[in-house]
Amino acid sequence: MIKFENVGKTYPNGVQALKGVNLEIGDGEFVAIIGLSGAGKSTLLRSINKMHAITEGKLFIDDIEISSIKGKDLRMLRRSIGMIFQSFNLVKRMSVFNNVLTGRVAYHPTFKTLFGLFPKEDKILALESLETMGILEKAFSRADQLSGGQMQRVALARALAQKPKIILADEPVASLDPITTVQVMDDFARINRDFKITIIANMHHVDLALKYATRIIGIKNGEVVYDGPSTDINDEMLVQIYGRSLKHDEVLGE
Amino acid sequence: MTKFTLKSGSSITKPFNKVWIILGVLLILIVTFSFFIRFEPSLINLSELGVILEKMFTPKGERTWGDYFGFVFTLWEPLVSTLEMSLAGTIIGSLMAVPVAILAAKNIFKSKFVYLPIRFFMNLIRTIPAMILAVVAVYFVGIGVLSGLIAITLFTFGIMSKMLYEVIETVDMSPFEALESSGATKTQAFRYAVFPQIFPVFLSYLIYIFEINVRASAVLGYVGAGGIGMVIKDNILYNYDRVGATVILLFFVILAVQFMSNYLRGKLQ
Repeated sequence: MIKFENVGKTYPNGVQALKGVNLEIGDGEFVAIIGLSGAGKSTLLRSINKMHAITEGKLFIDDIEISSIKGKDLRMLRRSIGMIFQSFNLVKRMSVFNNVLTGRVAYHPTFKTLFGLFPKEDKILALESLETMGILEKAFSRADQLSGGQMQRVALARALAQKPKIILADEPVASLDPITTVQVMDDFARINRDFKITIIANMHHVDLALKYATRIIGIKNGEVVYDGPSTDINDEMLVQIYGRSLKHDEVLGE
Repeated sequence: MTKFTLKSGSSITKPFNKVWIILGVLLILIVTFSFFIRFEPSLINLSELGVILEKMFTPKGERTWGDYFGFVFTLWEPLVSTLEMSLAGTIIGSLMAVPVAILAAKNIFKSKFVYLPIRFFMNLIRTIPAMILAVVAVYFVGIGVLSGLIAITLFTFGIMSKMLYEVIETVDMSPFEALESSGATKTQAFRYAVFPQIFPVFLSYLIYIFEINVRASAVLGYVGAGGIGMVIKDNILYNYDRVGATVILLFFVILAVQFMSNYLRGKLQ
């Protein structure tokens, strides 16, 4: 369980990205965070694995207060949280297989990983993750030979290889075409359902957020202005989040 | 400055490119300084050039063509030591450059107090010409291949550290972020996100620098740093034909090294 208690974040340049955030996200939820660009979606997401440290309040993951942890404890926390990025963040000139294996790096001491050797179980796990994502046959292709949708699946396989409890996705489909977008979102839904992994995703497209997530968190100027089931959201609430009502085509994203 | 006016009536002005001012100033400087260079056409003696070329590329005195080319086969040992000191110097110098280049890369060590002193040190090494490095090395360890090796190692270190840190700075850091978010240490993130991107470039540079070093080490022998350059030095006053034969050999060896270098670097793309 993830619990935000009065969380605030002020960047060194004085920008207040989060203010008084109180949230509780249970295990196995599929949460979409929506809001305008710059509203604080990314900061909220990245505070969970401490890629951005919070400056006020408390943040608990499974009853561990994470704002004070560092070093090995922090790495252990991060190991249990997969992360998906808008631009996939793969090493393009490395094979798909080796990219997925990097999800296992944090399970071994630094000196052991320097030579690029992994135990057989790790290799099997990496290949099984690729199989789960339906791209096992691409395992020994170079990552830069894949399409955008395939790259995001490799990134998901890398996250799965971590054996995570939570997957954070920062605009996971923002650089994909509409058809690939649906396929990748289906993958998230499947992972959420089959592995009971908590998914928290920042989304541009309101329609996708409503379709896939079971819970919506709306953010405006660093504050949570909506938090509830995706089935309850209506036009009025979207006005609250986005500052004005969305036209039909805006809700549909494209 | 060009002004574009569109059919709609709106207009936009392309700003003046300052590069033209810099190029203009440079041109004026070059023309001005060229007046100070003493250039006396009367000193050029083309007929002498023909004489020297003839001395270099025909057997001297009673020697036959057999002697001329036979001499090439006695050069095996200095040739091998030239190649050896080039190769060893390239590899040692390149490996020494790796940690320094990492320290000099702004995207890895964000503190000015790390990368600025390192860069200053790198610039310092690069101000010294390879020939001077060799002269100093000869002073310390004496005439022979070891001083050539030291000169080439330092020369390689200078080029490689500079080129490598610039490559590290252009690396895609997004996988580094992904590795850190998965709980990897910074060292692990470097090993799996940055290293795979720079290693092929590193090898390619290493081969190219080896090519430069073979050419350079042929000359380094001239100041006593061993290898084939010493053969040229020993013969240049009295045996032009031997210098000529050595030059022909060097021509083919360097050509072969260049072919090999191009081939290997092509494979690394």
